[in-house]
Amino acid sequence: MLIDNNDVDRREFLKLTTATGLGGLASLAGCSSLESSSGGAENAGSELPQYKYLNNPANYNPARHDAINLVGEQLNNLGLNVKVQVFEWGTLYTKITQEHDFSFATWSRGLGIDPGVRMPEQFHSSNVTADQGNFTGYANKDLDPTLMEQLQEKDEQKRIQMLHDIQTTLGKDVPMHPIVQMPNIVAYNNNQVSGWTDHIVGYYHFEPMTNVEVKNDKKELRGSWAETLGTMNVLGYKNETKLIHQFEMLYDKLVRINSKLEADPKLSLATKWERPDDTTVKYKLREDHKWHDGEAVTPEDVKFTLDYVKKNKIPLYSTQWELYDSVSVDGQWITVTFKDPIGPVHKLFSNQIPILPKHKWNSRSNPAKASVKKPVGSGPLQFDYWDKGSELSLKKYGDHWRPVKFNRRIWRIIPESSTVWSLLKKGKLNYLPYTRIGKQLKDNKGKSNIGVQSTPGDGWWHFSQNLRKKGLDDRAVRQAAVHAIPKAAINKQILYGFAKEGWNLIGESFGKYSNPDVKKYQKQNGVEAGKKRLEDAGYVIDNDGTVHFPEQSSK
Amino acid sequence: MGKSDFFIRRALQLGVTLWAVATALFMLFRLMPGNPTAYVISPGMTPEVRQQLVESYGLNDPLWVQYLRYIENLLTLDLGRSFKTNEQVVDVLITYLPNTLVLMLTAFIVAYFIGITLGVFTGWYRGSRFEKSAVVTALVGRSVPSFWVGLLVLWVFGTNLGIIPMSGMTSLGSGSTGFWEMVFSLDFLHHLVAPVVVLAFYYMGYPLLIMRNSMLETLSEDFIDICRAKGLTERTIMFKHAARNAFLPVLTAAAIAVGYAVGGSVLIETVFGWPGIGREMIRAVLRRDYPVAQGTFLVLALSVILMNFVADLLYGVLDPRVTYD
Repeated sequence: MLIDNNDVDRREFLKLTTATGLGGLASLAGCSSLESSSGGAENAGSELPQYKYLNNPANYNPARHDAINLVGEQLNNLGLNVKVQVFEWGTLYTKITQEHDFSFATWSRGLGIDPGVRMPEQFHSSNVTADQGNFTGYANKDLDPTLMEQLQEKDEQKRIQMLHDIQTTLGKDVPMHPIVQMPNIVAYNNNQVSGWTDHIVGYYHFEPMTNVEVKNDKKELRGSWAETLGTMNVLGYKNETKLIHQFEMLYDKLVRINSKLEADPKLSLATKWERPDDTTVKYKLREDHKWHDGEAVTPEDVKFTLDYVKKNKIPLYSTQWELYDSVSVDGQWITVTFKDPIGPVHKLFSNQIPILPKHKWNSRSNPAKASVKKPVGSGPLQFDYWDKGSELSLKKYGDHWRPVKFNRRIWRIIPESSTVWSLLKKGKLNYLPYTRIGKQLKDNKGKSNIGVQSTPGDGWWHFSQNLRKKGLDDRAVRQAAVHAIPKAAINKQILYGFAKEGWNLIGESFGKYSNPDVKKYQKQNGVEAGKKRLEDAGYVIDNDGTVHFPEQSSK
Repeated sequence: MGKSDFFIRRALQLGVTLWAVATALFMLFRLMPGNPTAYVISPGMTPEVRQQLVESYGLNDPLWVQYLRYIENLLTLDLGRSFKTNEQVVDVLITYLPNTLVLMLTAFIVAYFIGITLGVFTGWYRGSRFEKSAVVTALVGRSVPSFWVGLLVLWVFGTNLGIIPMSGMTSLGSGSTGFWEMVFSLDFLHHLVAPVVVLAFYYMGYPLLIMRNSMLETLSEDFIDICRAKGLTERTIMFKHAARNAFLPVLTAAAIAVGYAVGGSVLIETVFGWPGIGREMIRAVLRRDYPVAQGTFLVLALSVILMNFVADLLYGVLDPRVTYD
């Protein structure tokens, strides 16, 4: 069945995704893969090879599973021979990032707070070996210098231009393309909670969390998570969202980035910063600030933290500790000397490492494996109690320069989502820190006491193509495949319209960093547009709809 | 063979069985598809850091080296650390196992008390309407998925009537207390009722049916006729003579069931948001967190094997006809 993006029958749609899912592979394009067909393709070369599109199991992420099946079906309609294969997440990730044993891949990715930081990792030609970030195998020697230089460019306008150029090139070459831009989304009980403000990384960020207001007896913000938290060690966790939410508020950062994507002294532990040269940054530490246990926060704590993280090679902050050489203190000023020039230093470095109390961590010889029962930070929330596997409570730290507007934030572990929604409607819970897009959200969005706020985020479902595979090494084939992605149908039917169709790796949420002139692919009749692109490039589509290489390339 | 010989032989068998289970678990998790490092390593990390992480888990060593280290650690009761949280597996067990035991053992006590009592009466009143109803109830309890019953109970008594809590062991925001303090609080008992009722409804069918069959066998024996001839009351015959003799098979089943209780009930723990070991076990398997998965399964295996052992010993103690040959 062809999916016309503007006219999708839900019943047909679901039948299609289910059937494809049950079969475990998308149907072949009009012929058996075991026999060659070249009817009507006298001037054609051989058929394109069979491609593998790796899919996660339905129970891991049902929506994405259905979307991948659907895209696989459309690629077959385009005339490619695509087999959708389901793998457990760990296996899938290994096959793609280490073994490069895939043709197409899709999962969720995010760029973080700065759109340029992950670009070299994902697209630089020196990064294509096993387990490095550029798993598509994309190599563009002309683009490589720009990918690196934008990280070192201090002049914002020049850097924006570089990022625009990168987007233009990647938009044409499409080694990776966004299917849908995923939103940050929060559902809450609007009788009790109000005042959410948007931020590109999400509503858990320091700024929205210190803006939100709570009206109930105890002034408690009450959320839930499906999984247990596991650890309270800020240096020993694995970058899991549920813990990022906690540490964001328990600890301060030298610099924080506000919702306008600017370094903001009102949110930061440092009140001033200077850049005397390309490899040096000086920070003036906020005075009279105290740790949750009453000790003073000093520049020595900052120096200790940066030295400690580097000395112990904390994996979570490896990107950051590899950047700097030395840290020194002079009065309230801390000077950090970097190995190489860094452009967006505050987005790449200053806002990343949480500042730790020296008097608590000094005696810990193996910080990544330390058991931290009662974390002490200096952020606007302080540790209250933690019933492992059941509940975490953080209470207001009244001495913070930007205090929260509630007394406590409680997280209850509740695996069953129907229970969560029931408690949210009753007001026992009053916000969902992780609001999964799905039927529950759609059904409850209109309820009088349920508020839903969303804003474009930094992430997308990517559609990645392995350029090491014959056929996919040709830009024309990749572009045709991108044409065929039924983005509107996926957003409308699978994501209930909460997401946005993706056209550019650096989406509109990044404001001026996003290039509005990036090549747009076909919104409707994508399969037909894809076929036309293939034929224009010399590929031949036979009577069965199967794509053949141009005769010359076959020979 | 004397009791002590029997005990020593069974203890040795227990050791060998545990070693076999530990080995099977080790192999099983490593033969499963999936790479545990995929959950903790991100492409942003440098090769050096990635390598360091893999080495810290010992996953770069050959399989036989990993196996020897695993067995060596087991002998010193070191179950390792979680790949995901760095927490000692022993601490994971200490955190979640008591929660599971208090739920499961309460449910078992309720289920076996009701099941055995009903079993005695259904055996005694064979062919009555009461017997038919009880057997049908037992079969329904065993057949209907317990998670569905749980959801139904939550929907009716939690969402609509609001008389049972929706999730967890204590009320939201009630603070952190010691385990025993929590267990003896009214709030905890309020939270315990619904999952215990759902579990008991499922588990009571088994002792009920065993007890009924055992009663029927016992009631057909000659000594029952002698009891009647002696003029004993029906009540005395039912409880003191028939039920007591019919009780042995149920006792064995109960001991083994208690062994299984350690594994918890994953579905019920999930539906009622009960922070038990079952939920953690599943999470560990899904995330390829080998140490936690191995540790929890080993404890489950150990409890089942131990309770089998206890059942064997109990049989010998309670039934003089059993010998140790």
